[in-house]
Amino acid sequence: MTPTVSASGLSLRYGGTRALDDVSLRLTGGVTGLLGPNGAGKTTLLRVLATALPADRGAFTVLGHDPGTARGRQEVRRRLGYLPQTPGFHPDFTAFEFVDYVAILKEMTDRAARHREVRRVLDEVGLADVRGKRIRKLSGGMRQRVALGAALVGDPGFLVLDEPTVGLDPEQRMRFRELIAGAGEGRTVLLSTHQTEDVAMLCHRVLVMAGGRVRFEGTPAELTARAAGRVWSSKERDPGAKAGWRTGTGAFRNVGDPPDGAELVEPTLEDGYLLTLDGDAVEVAA
Amino acid sequence: MTTVVERPVVSDVRPGSSAAAVAALALFETRRLLTRLPVIIAFLVYLGWTVWRGGTDWDGYPALQDVDRATQGAPMLVGLAVLLSVNLAALRSRRHGTEHHFSVLVLPPWRRTVAHALSVVAAALLTAVCVAAQFGREALRPGAIGHGSVAELLVGPLTVLLSGLVGLLMAGLVRSALAGPLTVVFFLFLTLFGTGTSDGWSRWLMPVVVEPTANTLPSDLLGRPAAWHALYLAGLALCAGLLAVLAAGGRKPVVMAGVAGAVAMTLVGGVAQAGGDSPALVRARERATVNPGQVQTCVPRDGSTYCVFPEWGPRVADWAGVVDRVRSLAGGSAHEQKVVVRQRIEARYGLSGDGALTPLERPHEVTVGTRWGGNRVPEFSAAVAGVLVAGNEKASTSICDGRMVTVMWLAVGWESDPVAALRRVRLDDSATGSALVLQPTNGMYMTDAQTEVLRELLDRPRGEVTARVRSHWAELTEPKVTAARAAALLGVKAPEGDDKCLD
Repeated sequence: MTPTVSASGLSLRYGGTRALDDVSLRLTGGVTGLLGPNGAGKTTLLRVLATALPADRGAFTVLGHDPGTARGRQEVRRRLGYLPQTPGFHPDFTAFEFVDYVAILKEMTDRAARHREVRRVLDEVGLADVRGKRIRKLSGGMRQRVALGAALVGDPGFLVLDEPTVGLDPEQRMRFRELIAGAGEGRTVLLSTHQTEDVAMLCHRVLVMAGGRVRFEGTPAELTARAAGRVWSSKERDPGAKAGWRTGTGAFRNVGDPPDGAELVEPTLEDGYLLTLDGDAVEVAA
Repeated sequence: MTTVVERPVVSDVRPGSSAAAVAALALFETRRLLTRLPVIIAFLVYLGWTVWRGGTDWDGYPALQDVDRATQGAPMLVGLAVLLSVNLAALRSRRHGTEHHFSVLVLPPWRRTVAHALSVVAAALLTAVCVAAQFGREALRPGAIGHGSVAELLVGPLTVLLSGLVGLLMAGLVRSALAGPLTVVFFLFLTLFGTGTSDGWSRWLMPVVVEPTANTLPSDLLGRPAAWHALYLAGLALCAGLLAVLAAGGRKPVVMAGVAGAVAMTLVGGVAQAGGDSPALVRARERATVNPGQVQTCVPRDGSTYCVFPEWGPRVADWAGVVDRVRSLAGGSAHEQKVVVRQRIEARYGLSGDGALTPLERPHEVTVGTRWGGNRVPEFSAAVAGVLVAGNEKASTSICDGRMVTVMWLAVGWESDPVAALRRVRLDDSATGSALVLQPTNGMYMTDAQTEVLRELLDRPRGEVTARVRSHWAELTEPKVTAARAAALLGVKAPEGDDKCLD
């Protein structure tokens, strides 16, 4: 299967900081989750793949085009949907106008077809009823959906979503999961998030980054399996655990290297993630 | 309730060309620009002002070579509103933090700038429609004469174009929302204090060049370098627009070449418009002022002769009507007196000079100016009446006796509202007391006593007064007749006011 994104040796420095360090990856259809602590290089990687930033070294293709050339970059941008971490909005635009504006900037020039498309994506993100409303009058969740609609307009083959559920309440986050799952049908979605539940529920693949490097690439099940036999329950916090916290039952859930005879419990994807980041300053308070 | 989309619907939108995308974006930006509150208000004020001015100015007898210039000032308001709105629109992404997001969209920033520039062109075109409507309405008035200049008519739309593109350029150079308002303040300052009353070449550097006088001249004697000025403005506007595209990253050979061409246009227009009056124009103005007969056509009408500059031919009937009505009230030989109406101008100083004319000394020759309608009608009527009573224009301006009663009766007695006409012809708009009476050349003076007698006459039936005027014509037009004697002859009470002329 031809990968949507194929990258090798991507590196990028900001001053003395190595934001990306020899990153190689392959993305195919469906939703791929990108996990990592703050400063891991997730947003930098997304911006490079979305052609917003050039890499210092390395090469990559998106949908068969090389963004290193002007022509290739234009071709990638034609098929790209991008939802940045903190999307800006033009508050006096209506939701329809905003998505229409983005559609024009994606060079959709047939007015009637474009307007059909804008209506379609606004329907898809559940904003059909408020498409004539000015963005400044929409809630935070609705604005985020407008941004997703703008990313989806034109049926992009590669969708880059940078922490789209940050700041949303649980109901809105559920709704966004539905939308992202729908968006992942038939296209490649790269989803950066701090929410391991999102990855567990949405993604068929997961990447874990830390220090500008990819620390793990595989399925969520494989990431979860990394914690098999390394999560246990105890009445007191185990001092040998890498992380441990009191659960609702009053017992402590410990992650790390269990002592002999420990009461092992079923690991989660989050446990696998924590263990993957071992040594990269992950703290979980008791 | 939410809807889960199980499979995305495949879009039927296919990307078009970049040029088509620029056109689509230009339409989008045009719609937004023309619905911005400042632009709507500016257009409404502009249209309101135009309609209001159209109903009160020129009194239905416009000279189109003046009307074209009168279209230039108001669009500046639209220009400033467009400047502000385009500036804010071009800074939209920066102001709302969408720059990074939109940087990965296909259409590059310089092409978005082109779309903004095209939206300004649309605003300028809308202004051109308003200017055309304003000029067209005046041109269609039955009393319109003369010729407008397309170059003069272009100044309003070009001012809007220039303002908007300067706003766009400022957005590219100073990436702050304060830049637009500060530029507007700078423009206002320049407009108020930059030109002043200067009549030098530097005033042509401003978009709208206002003339210090309301002198109306034949269109071939105006001497305004309107075409060069339009070229200069177009060049400036192109410079601003193309530099804005360059600042947005459009460093393409065609843009560079365009900037060079625009600079050349600006320089050619700017230098040529500062050239001053040509020797041929100076000679033509001298001839039209000193020997107007050499360039005029004389038209006989009801025994009188009307000598006019070519563009004023349609006015002869209006003037003849006044001459006829004034004569109809006169007695003696004046009732049938043939006059020569000579149109005269002071063109030697162009539009910036004093248009004062000296009175004619030839018998029964009356001066008429280039403006008509409103106060100009009773002024001309007073001049005709003065010539019928005193014999020539120079003598009429020296009348200092009771003949002024007869002159003014002839001048306003035929009007449907003679008191209103009396007010309009007097310098201070009064209908009582002494006052200077205006006419195309030097004025005449009415004493308090003469005004009293005239007002008495105006309160009486016109036929009765006319009969008395005719029967006592010789004595009423005798030099040195007093206002009291005139009152006695005309059967009204003796005046009580002062009857002394000005020294």
